[in-house]
Amino acid sequence: MRLAITGYGVASPFGVGRASWEAALAKGEAARELAFRGRSEALEGELGEHARTAEVWGFDPNQYLGDKGHRAFDRLTKLLIAAAKPALADSGLKRDGAFVEGGPDASSIGICSATAYGSLDAITELNRVAELEDPRYINPQRFPNTVINAAAGYVSIWEDLRAPNVTVVDGNCSALDAVLAAATHLAHRRAKAFLVGGGEIVSEPLYLALRRLGVLADGRNDGFGVEMGEGACYFAMERVEDAKARGARVLAEVIGYGTAFEPPRSEALLVHASADAVARAVREALAEAKVDPGEVDVVASSAGGLVEVDGAEAAGLREVLGGVPQVPVKRLTGETFGVSGAFALAHVLAWFGGAPVAPSPANGVTPPAKVGTAVITSVGFYGNASAIVVRAA
Amino acid sequence: MRRVFVTGVGVVSPVGFGRRDFWEALVAGRSGAAPIENFDASGLDRQVACEVKGFRPRDFLTAAEARRAGRCSAMAIAAARMAVEDAKLKTEHLAGPRTAVVLGTTMGEANVLGQLEAAWIHRGEQSVEPAALPRYGTTLLPIHLARALGATGMVQTMPAACAAGNYAIGYAADQIRAGRADVAVAGASEVIEKLQFAGFARLGAITPDVCRPFDQQRRGLMVGEGAGILILESEESVVRRGATVLAEIGGYGLACDAHHITRPHPEGEGSTTAMRMAIASSGLRPEDVDFVNAHGTGTSANDKIESLVLAEIFGARQPILTSNKSILGHCMGAASAIEAVSCVLSLQTGIVPPTIHYEHPDPECAVNLVANEARSAKIDVVVNNSAAFGGYDAVLTLAREGVLPPPRDPWAVQAEGATA
Repeated sequence: MRLAITGYGVASPFGVGRASWEAALAKGEAARELAFRGRSEALEGELGEHARTAEVWGFDPNQYLGDKGHRAFDRLTKLLIAAAKPALADSGLKRDGAFVEGGPDASSIGICSATAYGSLDAITELNRVAELEDPRYINPQRFPNTVINAAAGYVSIWEDLRAPNVTVVDGNCSALDAVLAAATHLAHRRAKAFLVGGGEIVSEPLYLALRRLGVLADGRNDGFGVEMGEGACYFAMERVEDAKARGARVLAEVIGYGTAFEPPRSEALLVHASADAVARAVREALAEAKVDPGEVDVVASSAGGLVEVDGAEAAGLREVLGGVPQVPVKRLTGETFGVSGAFALAHVLAWFGGAPVAPSPANGVTPPAKVGTAVITSVGFYGNASAIVVRAA
Repeated sequence: MRRVFVTGVGVVSPVGFGRRDFWEALVAGRSGAAPIENFDASGLDRQVACEVKGFRPRDFLTAAEARRAGRCSAMAIAAARMAVEDAKLKTEHLAGPRTAVVLGTTMGEANVLGQLEAAWIHRGEQSVEPAALPRYGTTLLPIHLARALGATGMVQTMPAACAAGNYAIGYAADQIRAGRADVAVAGASEVIEKLQFAGFARLGAITPDVCRPFDQQRRGLMVGEGAGILILESEESVVRRGATVLAEIGGYGLACDAHHITRPHPEGEGSTTAMRMAIASSGLRPEDVDFVNAHGTGTSANDKIESLVLAEIFGARQPILTSNKSILGHCMGAASAIEAVSCVLSLQTGIVPPTIHYEHPDPECAVNLVANEARSAKIDVVVNNSAAFGGYDAVLTLAREGVLPPPRDPWAVQAEGATA
């Protein structure tokens, strides 16, 4: 696998666009204060008062989408478009909103978009109408939003991207699995370039579900629990030779992918994380990348405040990579579930660009001054894990 | 590039479980439409659907599996167990990291979510049972299946709405070709849930009487549900265990309309691109295609545009065509997976099931339809067509063993202009 990353766009708690992302991460651990900055805007009433969330603060869709044509879109769709637009510009695939002559065009740029819970708020919105009023009153214009792949479909319409559009849902592993989807379709020449990434939002149903499960960090300061984050992030990914042929600047290459699943030992269990799956996914990714464990400078890990999950990941990483620094990037930008792998990749790209490696590694190992090769891991809540290997250009 | 074969099929459908009952009903043209039983539809404008009736998870799942899995996953496990039996796969063939599980769906465990949300909306947060929460999650479908089969390789959900089956089967074949798996359990599963049924009704998409694809008096689709699973294997795996081949996977094509979230492109642009890609990447030409298993939803727009696409691709020599949806309803995410099972059975038997309720030819749908009665034909190559919300288009080509040329280098396909 050799995928060139030629640009990216983010809609994050730090703002919209690559510049806001890099400016925040240049502050190191202090970026956290920008991300978790105040009362939730997504959660209303009592919920928002106590929630500790990292949201795309003050997001005004009109600023990025104009003031027409997006009334039926849900928040996820708007965030995805807000990330897609700068990704297409940053990679030079579009200039001033138009495809660049001689480069990939509408027919050859596709989307591989990840999410874990994408359309949950849209489903809740319509369920409220159906349950409290009458199912016959649900808004037909909002109904398509309940379909998980609708958000990526709207991005394709908005940006006129007609090559394959793929939505990937694999819980926390979704975004890294979307990278494999892009690699697969590029290898088969089904497209020349993909927007790869996805989005996740802070929503009332998801927040309540996590609160009911007792896994939120709200009100605690012992490092336990999930701090919900949100945002969207897309990378332009191409075959290396195609990127070079069009004179694109290559930021980094994805050179290996691995994935694995291990069931829990008890038939009664459903939620669990597996150190063996993590180890296997990382080994597979390193083997494909032809990278030895000793060549890995840093791991952008999936640790998100759940003891069992984080422990399984740390053990799996230790088994394969020994004392390589494990950097829990979610501490800066929150748990973004399906898109968390893409946010981790955006962290890695910032490190490649010279931003300090932050936050402090969970295993207490000091990261090298210069990072050139990184592993990114994602650990699912049901025993699955995925990993990619990224190398600076 | 490795060859990929189908060695087993399994199905849970509105007209029967397992290949024998399913095929018998499909060939006989027995519709699965009936008044809705699984939820109270009395307040809705439409009250008929193609539900899976008489499905008891414990007939196919262990007690522990049945406790963990929602209806959508349970149907997928049931179909997978039938497919595994059909393929005569033993545990040792399936267990381990070289088996991938790739499943499509539109909304996954929609009824688990519906029950959770109904409790929350009517009775508050405290009424939601925490233990039930993790049972919702679209990602769970392949996880449950992998656990049931002992597979520990890739677990992947592809939510591509009504094209999800083709997405999943095609992608699973890709992984075998790339050497990332030797065996793949691929297909899709879907349940009818009240909200989504009401949504289709609000869109005016559901027929008030019967589903009559390509008929001039067609009035909409019939919502269906079910699961279709294919066992895919590399050539090496087939040879190693002496498996019987049911069909070979050719290529598949994907494209996006980028036009409208629910309506097809007016010239069928994405669908045409995907179908060309599916045929060319199989090393075939349009004239090699004997039979097209249509998307054929029975809506005015779909059938008209699909006919345009077929005219564009095949010209005057139209392959025979049928829509399983006249019988099964539109099983949404599972539709193209169940229809892929039907394609395999057509390749095996040389029989094309009928499109029922067809009475009035439509000049805008000038297709070579197998109307009302099943037909015997030479079927070496079949194209399974699908399209979906989001402008998703996915087309899969399947063939009888020995018909397809060796898999092609994607560069060669690209040089012919069929891909990017």
